[in-house]
Order: sequence, then structure tokens, then C-alpha cells
Amino acid sequence: MSAAENRTHVMLHLALGAFTLFAIYPILWVLTLAFSGGQSLVVVDLPADPGALDRLRSVLPWPKTLSLQNFVDVLTQEPFARWLFNSAIVAGLTTLLGVFLACTAAYAFSRFRFPGRRTGMMMFLVSQMFPGTLMMVPLFIIIVKWLHLGNTYAGLVIVYAVTAIPFCVWMLKGYFDTIPVEIEESAIMDGATPATIFFRIILPLAKPAVAVTALFSFMTGWNEFILASIFMDEETAYTAPVGLRFFVGGFSSQWGYFAAGSIIVSLPVVALFYYLQKYLISGLTAGGVKG
Amino acid sequence: MKSKLLVAAMAAIAGVWAAQASAAATALTVWHAYRGLEKEAFEKVVATYNRKMAGKGVEVTTLAVPYDAYADKITAAVPRGKGPDVFIFAQDRLGGWVEGGKTVEPISFYLDDATRGQFLPTMLDAMTYRGTVYGLPLNYKSITLIYNTKLVKTPPATSGELVKLARSLTDAPVGKFGLVYAYNDYYYHAALQNAFGGRAFDPGPKPTLNAPENIAAMDLLLRWANTDRILPAEPSSALVTSLFNEGKAAMVFSGPWFLGEIAAGVDYALAPLPTIDEAGGKPMRPWLTIEGVYVSQSSAHKDHAYELARYLASEEAGVVLTVEGRQLHANKAVYAHKEVADDPVLAAFRKQLDNATPMPNFAEMTVMWSPATTAMNTIVRGAATPKVALDKAQASVEKDIAALRKGR
Amino acid sequence: MTPRSLLAQPVALGLVLGALAAALLSEWFFMQARDELLADRQQRAVVMQAMALGDQVAAAEAGEASEAGVDRLAGVVQHWSQRFADIASIRIVRSADATLLASTDANDAGPFPRRLAREEKALYDLGQTLRANAETNAAEGVFRKKQLDVVRLDRTRLRVAAPYTVDGEVRGFAQVQQGVPAAPIRPDLGRAALVIGLPVVVFALAMMAWRRRGARAPPAVELGLAAVLLAGALYGQSTAGLRELADRHQAYAAELAQTYNAIRQAFDATASLTGAVAGGDNRWDVDEYLRPLGVIGGDGSLQRAALDATLDIRENHLRRSLWSAAVLGAGLLAFIGLGYGRRLRQTLVEHRIAYGYVTPAIAGMLVLVFFPFVYGVTLSFTDTTLFNENLSLRELWIGLKNYAVILGDFHVVRGTDGDWVVNYQNFYWTLFITVMWTVCNVAIGVSVGLVLALALNTKGLRFSNVYRVLLILPWAIPNYITALTWRGMFHKQYGVINQMIQIFGGEPVSWFDTAFTSFLTGIVTNGWLSFPFMMVITLGGLQSIPQSAYEAAYVEGATRWQQFRHITLPYLKPTLIPAIIISVVWTFNMFNIIYLVSGGEPAGSNEILITQAYKIAFEKYQYGYAAAYSVVIFMLLLVYGVFQNRVTRATEAIA
Repeated sequence: MSAAENRTHVMLHLALGAFTLFAIYPILWVLTLAFSGGQSLVVVDLPADPGALDRLRSVLPWPKTLSLQNFVDVLTQEPFARWLFNSAIVAGLTTLLGVFLACTAAYAFSRFRFPGRRTGMMMFLVSQMFPGTLMMVPLFIIIVKWLHLGNTYAGLVIVYAVTAIPFCVWMLKGYFDTIPVEIEESAIMDGATPATIFFRIILPLAKPAVAVTALFSFMTGWNEFILASIFMDEETAYTAPVGLRFFVGGFSSQWGYFAAGSIIVSLPVVALFYYLQKYLISGLTAGGVKG
Repeated sequence: MKSKLLVAAMAAIAGVWAAQASAAATALTVWHAYRGLEKEAFEKVVATYNRKMAGKGVEVTTLAVPYDAYADKITAAVPRGKGPDVFIFAQDRLGGWVEGGKTVEPISFYLDDATRGQFLPTMLDAMTYRGTVYGLPLNYKSITLIYNTKLVKTPPATSGELVKLARSLTDAPVGKFGLVYAYNDYYYHAALQNAFGGRAFDPGPKPTLNAPENIAAMDLLLRWANTDRILPAEPSSALVTSLFNEGKAAMVFSGPWFLGEIAAGVDYALAPLPTIDEAGGKPMRPWLTIEGVYVSQSSAHKDHAYELARYLASEEAGVVLTVEGRQLHANKAVYAHKEVADDPVLAAFRKQLDNATPMPNFAEMTVMWSPATTAMNTIVRGAATPKVALDKAQASVEKDIAALRKGR
Repeated sequence: MTPRSLLAQPVALGLVLGALAAALLSEWFFMQARDELLADRQQRAVVMQAMALGDQVAAAEAGEASEAGVDRLAGVVQHWSQRFADIASIRIVRSADATLLASTDANDAGPFPRRLAREEKALYDLGQTLRANAETNAAEGVFRKKQLDVVRLDRTRLRVAAPYTVDGEVRGFAQVQQGVPAAPIRPDLGRAALVIGLPVVVFALAMMAWRRRGARAPPAVELGLAAVLLAGALYGQSTAGLRELADRHQAYAAELAQTYNAIRQAFDATASLTGAVAGGDNRWDVDEYLRPLGVIGGDGSLQRAALDATLDIRENHLRRSLWSAAVLGAGLLAFIGLGYGRRLRQTLVEHRIAYGYVTPAIAGMLVLVFFPFVYGVTLSFTDTTLFNENLSLRELWIGLKNYAVILGDFHVVRGTDGDWVVNYQNFYWTLFITVMWTVCNVAIGVSVGLVLALALNTKGLRFSNVYRVLLILPWAIPNYITALTWRGMFHKQYGVINQMIQIFGGEPVSWFDTAFTSFLTGIVTNGWLSFPFMMVITLGGLQSIPQSAYEAAYVEGATRWQQFRHITLPYLKPTLIPAIIISVVWTFNMFNIIYLVSGGEPAGSNEILITQAYKIAFEKYQYGYAAAYSVVIFMLLLVYGVFQNRVTRATEAIA
């Protein structure tokens, strides 16, 4: 490693470190609240005539007492594990269905020229434009009244997957566009079937984009709250975000529980990202296949 | 002959089958938004009811729904024939459900005098919309004075005492305040407004946000905030909790829900809200939120559903819900029980009830919150006088209500 | 020319299908109109019965010997049902004390009067509803609650309950159930066949004539001829149908006048029993809000002007429907006649593989997006609110009025004597804030995300996986709690942000007190929430850049900036542009952050369109207006999407 490169890296570390601090600062407050064992949001506590040091201490996120009580209560008072399990199934199936449907559609949009192609692409975008505020009742009518999918995983998965598809299609289509057509053409020369080309050549090359869309689809299914509470009619069928909202009442809210629950809920997402990020790591070495 | 026997046997089996089916047919569902102690007590009461009704084939299941989604869930499901047989909700949505239709079943017809007479005063009023009763009152909530006993020895009885005490306990630069409550929330402010004889609707369903009494109440609040400086800025309910738990709030105006948020080690006591000298010594009269139990209009077993509602509103259920669920039941017989009467918290809220009034159950109330909040924030910020801000809010509310009450 | 060869011609096929659709649809509309007329005649007859009976009951109850009067009600009811053979049953209910005063219904066990049984709760509730509705209308000074109860049990049976009033208070109601066997209404298929057949035959003859001369008609002439023929046929059909409607309307009015006279006689014959007095005018022929229609006078005469006015309303409604049928027919003719039909089929076959790939995703979209969209757009043309949700679409229809109100209000600033105040509720102010909000947020999200991704993609950078995982956290944690934390951090006295400002010697800021600082709180929070998403996308996009491109640039001695400008950015574009477009759409409709952090404070100056739409729907309960707001949002985004697509396509062409 050259000296110049070294210097660049030090600068980068400084900048990235500072920004990361900014990025996680509010989360540290959430953690402080979750580990405080109490329910009240932390407020600045200052002596009568505060100096800069007092103020500095007051902006450092650290609980006065450390306690795991909030986590214990959240996991034991409510069937939280069950709700996480439901969420995992719903979000997992959403990811599978969403990514599959998006891949096929995006592949067609990228590789075929057919009438209605632009209109079709536009339609996916357009579907995101109609504000969701008035969607609740019509969606209830479709899923629960017409399709009789109330209180089932399937009802939620369908809605979430369809919600996630437009972004996934656009993202994947953009990525497929960067993969040279010559690769496919030479595969056809070698006698590969369309299915082989799609599954053996295109999908592996598009791994980074598939990873991004998978993460996005997962998040769509993982964090949704209002439809899940409206479609599900048994407490054991709720998803984790629904369970989380039990801590926010009409008058009072147990913010400590809510913070602890939020952290628990975010762990699988972080884990998934940790797993997926290997597809996002500098792929320059893999670039040899392309171009 | 053989075939006849077979038919008879088949008929017998079918009969058993049918009987079993009908025994299981009266499965009732009840929706609520409770958690914690309230939920445990509620489920216990329902379990007791199930044991009682086991012989009659009635089986009740409960479903807890997060509060944030609860009203939406009812509004989406019940008018479309889905949803529960019985549900529990505060009176604030009642008017909207009646106006929207297909949601709550009127129950005036079922109500006998004994049932009518069993409730605390004004409870049934909250369940009555345009002369018809739609639900049985289950419990009430109101704000009262909650104070930190380390800081306050004797709670103030009048506004004069309150201000004097609060000023002595306020040290704004350190973040300590004598009195903390969500005063820019109309729900909390209503206690002060009602002391002056102010109101949201009068006469009947006519909105009156800018009544002279409402303005007088706002003037007093303004004095507390800006002249006496006993109140902190931007008081969200989360902040109220935090300050009280940190010992930075000597007194708060809040309700039973607040008690569960008080941290261990903070000693508190309750007292009735003070009287207001500026209003001629009249007491503060907070709004009552009264939860009712309603029969769903889409229920297939309305008679059974009503019987369940009646049980939930009964003394027997009330004692459990009050003692174990820490609710303030609407059945007056509950308060004669020793465990209830001797409980200082329950007694304090029962006392506050003597000076409290149900929050209007008009759907138009929902229209009012946002303009009222805007007006109050504007006033407290000093951007407009109470009269100007309330006139503006009134105009906005009148316009929105006229859009709702459009003739054909 | 055989029919087969005729149909092979696009114009002829278009004419046949267009005429078929338009003619049948028109006949269906005629059938509906006739059905409505018939239903209206029956309803008014029964309403008059019930109203007249109501007057009798009121008189009987109000009379001095009221109990005796109530007893005589049985006589009135008896007389009434004997005189009118079409009345199936009559019920008189005093709901004030849940008493069934009289009934001729076979299912109601006597003797009367008696208390309502538990199974008869619905009767009690009906009385209470009628009372509450009358009181509501009186208290609010409008007619918004129906004061009659009209229930159509099936095609022939109708049940009407009319309230009776004693001392200014609705005390109960008279309910009349009538069943008139009505001949089933069938569409006039003969006329429809004529409307379809005639133009087709004329068209075929004309074509044959042309062919005999050895020439083919020019396509434009063919199409023009077909259009003229279709229009002529449909015009004839509608004229006949409308005349029929007018005739029926007239005949039914005359019949109703007779019914009125008969009721009047029955009333007078029984008046001695109850002491009721009929007034000089007709108070029985009323609409559902008890307002006299004024078509039939007190003496049973028809009032020409009122009658014509009601006919006009019906005719106009029918005419509108007929126009839509004609437009459909013309559309079909043009579509098929111009050869689009054939081309569509060919295209579908030719590109079946591509369509096969796309179909599953499109189908899902259609099922879950199309219906809500149609629902929302329909709603936007009505003045639906919580209070009138259950009325029929026709009663609620107000056309484009919601849009006119939203878009036509230009009073962004108002004020007196040079003291100008911004009207924060105005659409254009909210739109301005929304655009600012979107531009700032997307700019921040994209630039921060891009810079971070580039930094993290540096070859050989250690701990980059740690940074990546930490930087994704704002996206991973449910934003409800983080938005709330941000709100707390912005608190004037207890928030850490003001503390930091004070550490550096600044003055604390009241963040939510001015429009600008309040806007900033939203931007900071949302920027913080949205950069991880952009970062991840960019990281993904960076993988599509081949190493060789950089190597070549290195060989040519390109600077870092040149590499970025000419290699990185162009390669990122295919993934970044869609992401930007979509995040513009999302940010435009980002509801949570505004709602949770600033709540639109101060005084609603920081509302964006979507939070405004939410408030209109769920706080003001004006569903129709809120739907129009949503459609406006949709249209704005659609215009943006199309525009952006054009621009992107143009740049693609250059590159």
C-alpha cells in the first residue's frame, strides 16, 4: 500500500467515523432508553449554572442505570417470539415472491422490445403514485371480502409483494441493462435454453441488484403495521410491528418497551444485511466476466 | 326395515351433529385495545363468563388490537359484515359510527330501569347519541392532580394556591417546573375551560370554540405560561412523564394511564383539580373519557352479545376490572366494595368524577382537535391573542362542519 | 358478398360490434329507467298511504280521549286495508313507549295495543331512528337525514314507514307494506335488433354496390359511412326511448293522482273515528325528507310545471347514460375499423414470451392497485363524507367540483392594510412546501448515499463492513421510535440539539415555532432516515462497473474526478435514475415523518399534500374531498414521471 493511499485511507476513516457517529447518535438514545429499564424518554439534565462540560455530559447518551428489564418484559409479557416468527414467514415469503415476480418482469423489460414496454414500466411507477391514505378500505375489501384471505399469511404476502414489486422491477431492469447482451448471445450460440440463460447467467451476474431488492422486499414485509393489524384476527397471527404498537396507547405509551422492542425487531434486518453485503462488496474483481 | 333403521341412525347422528353445531354456534368475539394489567383482568372476567355460560353453549374469545389501528380496524371490518360481536371503545368515536351507519347496534330497547340505574352519573349520557343509547358504559378516565410528595406536602385547593406553590417550585434554567401538563392539548385544557363554563358545542351540536368563557380560560392559561412562568415550553405527554420521573415536575395534571408510567421510587399522591379563583371559585372540570361496550351491528348473535355486554358492565365484573385491572368502572356498586373504597388512587379519581363532564361524543369533535391545537400553540407562542386565534379556529371548524352536515 | 367476407373487413366488423354494444347498452339503460319509474310510482303511492295514516294516528293520539282514539285506530287500519287491495299489511307503532298500537300483519300476535316483543326490536329502533333524524335535521337546519324509511323487499314488495308527530315530537310511525305484482321488465330486443341490423345491412349493400362497380371504397369513406349509419341508428333508438319515457312518466303521474284521490276518500271516510282533518294542500306526496313534491295538488290535479321539472331531471340523466353508450359504440367502431384490433392480436402472439414474463407481476398490480385506484377516483367525483357514506353514488355525484375547489383557490396570501399572512391551508402553499420537501430530501439522500457508497467501495479500506452495518441502522430500526427521538432532540429546553448549540456558544432555537426551522427538523430527520437506502442501492450499482474501464482510464492518466465523471456516473445511471425517480415519488408521499416530528407546526405551515389529505379524510371526514386531493397528488406525480422519463430517454439517446 502506497503512502498516498495510506493517507487517503486515514482521511476516509476520519470522515466515515464522524459521519457514522452522526448516523448512530439518535440510535444511541434509543438504546439508552431501552437499557434504562424505565419508560420515560431521556431529557437533558443540567445543574443550576451549567458549564460546557455539564452540557457535554448531558448530550452523551448513557442511561443512569443499566437494566435489561425492558427487554425481558417485552419478550415475556407478550408472545413476542411468536410475532417475530410470523413476521419472518411473512417477510420471507414476500421476499421470495416479490423478487421472483420482479426478476421475470424486469428481465423482459430489459431484454425484449415489445409494444407496451414503456407503458408497462410506467405502470409500475404509477402504482406508487396514488397515495396510500385511501387504500386501506379497498384493500380490505379485496383481500378479506373478495379473496377471503383475512387472517392468513397469504393475504399479507400478496399485498406486500405487490407493494415491493415496482421498485424491484425498476432497480433490476436498470441493472440488467448494464449486463452486456453479448454474454447471452454467445450462450445461445452454445445452445443454452432461455431458462438456462436466465437462471445460470443473468441472475448470478445480477447478484448485487438481487441482493438490494431482496433486502428492500424483506423490509417492506417486515415493518408494515396497519394492514397487518387490520387483516389479522388472532393475537397469535399478528406480526412483530403489530405487537410493537401495543406499547403505544391512546393516552399513555411505554416508550422503554417500545425502544427495546424496536431494537429486537431491527436485529434480523441487520443480520440479513450483514449476510447480503458480501454481494455489495467491491465487485471490481468480478468485473472480469463482464465487458 | 333395515334401511329404516339406518335412516333412523343417520338421523340420530345428524341430530347430535346439529346439536353440537348449534352448541358451538354462539361463539362470540370481543375486541379491545388493552394490554398489561387491564388485559389480564379483562381476560379473567371473560373466562369467568365463559364458565358461567358453558351450559348454554356460549363461548367468548377476546382479541386485543393495538390502539393505533383499532378504530381503523373497526371502521374497515364491521360495516362490511366482518369483525366482532362486541367491542370496547371510548365514546369519542360513537357519533361517527352512528352517522356512518352499520357499526353500532342501538340498545335502548334492551335497557331496563335496573340497568340504567346501576351506573355512576353522566356515564350513560356518553353512550347516548341523539336520544338513543348505543353502548353500556364500562369505565371512565379523567385527569386529576398528581403530585410528587417529596416536593409538595399539601396539594393546592385553589388556583391562587396552585400558582403560589408552583412558582416556588419552579426553577426554569435548571428545567424544574411547578406544574407540568400537556396544556396545548385541547383535551387537557378543557378542564380549565369548563371551570369558566366554557364548552365545545352549544346549544346542541353547534360548535362554540370562541365562546367568551373559552377565551377567559385561554387568558388564564396564557398568564400561567407567560406571566407566572410555571409551565415548560412544548409540553408533549412524553415530556410530562420524563419530567415527573426525574423530579423536575412537582405537579402534573394527568389521568390513571399516567400512574403506570411513573418510575419506581418516585412517591406520588393524587388530589382533585383545584378550583379557579378567576372563574369565581368554580372547580376545574376535566373531560371524561368513557369506555363503552358496544354490540356490533354485524353480529349474528345480538341478544347474546348484549348479555355479554351487560355482564361486563355488572358489579361482579366491575370489581375485578377495577381492583385487578386498575380501571375505574362505571358501575356505582363497585365503589362500595372495601378494596375499592380504601384504595387512595381509585378514591381520588372517584372524587374527581364529581367535578367532571363527559367529552362530547359528536363526530364533529374530531374536526375540532386540529384547529384547537393550532389555536392554542399560536396563543402560547404569542403569535395571536386568544380572541383572534379562537375566532379563526371557530371559523375553520364551522366551515368543516358545514361540509359534513350538508343538506340534500 | 357473404357475411363472412363482410366480417373480414375491419370497418364492417367494427360497425357490427360497435352497434351491438351501443344498442344493447342503450336498451339496458332504458330498462333501468323504466324500472326506476315503476319503482318511483310504487314508492310514492305507498308513501302517500303511510303519510295519510300517520296523520290519522297523530290525530288519534292528540285527541282528548287519546286512549279511546288509539282504540279506534284498529277501525281505521281495518277500513284502510279493506279499501286498498294492494296493501299487504299495516303496522302502527308508538316507539316512544315501545307499543304496537295496531297491525294487520299475520305474523304479529294480538291483541293490540301491546308492548313490542324482544324479537321486534327492529321496529322500536326504526321509530327511534326516525325521531333522531327529524330532530337532527331540525337542530342543524338542513335536510341531511332521511325522515322516511323506505325498504324495497324485492321487485314487487315495498315497505314504507312514515313518522307521526305529536306536540312537535316524533312519537312513532305508520308502516305500510304493499305488493303490486309487476310484469317483469324486459329490454326491447326487437328495437335493438333493428338498431344493429339496419346500419349493417345498409353498409353491406353500399359495399356491394361499390364492388359491383369494380372498385373498393376508400377506407375513410367506409369508416365515415359506418359512423354516420351508427349515429343515425342510435339517434333513432334514443329518440324512441326518450319519448317512451316521457309517455310513461305522464301516465304514471295521472295514475298517482288517482291514487291520491282514493287515499283522500279513505282519509275522509275514517276521519270521524280519529278526528283528523285533511288540509287543503297535498302533504302526503313527499320526498324522503318529507318535503312536498308539489306534483299533485290538494284537489288531485296535476301541476304541469312541477311534473315537467321532474321529467327533465330523468331525461337528462338518461341522456347522459345514452351518450356514454354511443361513445362506447363509436370507440369500438374506430378501434376495430382502423385496424387496431387485428394489430393488437398480432402483437400479443408475436411477443408472447415477453408478455409471459411480465404477466404475473402485472396481474398482481392490476388486482391490488387497479381497484383501489378506481375506487379513489370515483370517490373524488363525489362529496362523500362520514355522514352520507351510505347514500347512492348518484346522490353523491358532484362531478369536478372538488377539483375546482382545490385548484381554484388562489388565496395563498391574504391580509388587510399591508399586513400579509400566508394562508397555510391553501393548496398551492402546501404544494410549494411539498416540492421543497421532496427536492431537499432526495438531494440529500442521493448525495450522501452516493458519497458514502463511493467511500465504502474504496479498495482495501479496512472495517468497511463495520461502517456499512452501522450506517444501515437508521433504515433498519422502525422509524416510529427514531422519529420520536428526533422530535425529543429538537425540544427547545430539553433537547440535545439546543444543548450542542449552547456548547458552541449559540442561543437555543425554538425549532417548531417558525416555518423554516420546523421545515429543517423534517429535512434532517428524513435525510437521516433515507440515506442508507440510497447508499445500499449505489453499492449495488457500483458492482456493475467493470474493472477494465478504470484500468483503461488509469492508463490514459485520467484524474479521480474524470474517472468519476466519465466512468462511475454513467455506469451508475441505469440503477440510480430509477431509484431517484421512485424516491421522489415516495418522498412526495412521505407521511410519517411530518406527522411524527413537526406535526405540520407552526399552524399547519409545514403540512405536505399527503398529510393534508390524511387530515381531510380522517380528521375532517370529508372522504370525497380527500380522494380528490389524492388524485391531484397522483396527477402531479404522473406529470413528473412522464417528464422525467422523457428527459432520461433523451440522455440515454445521447449516451
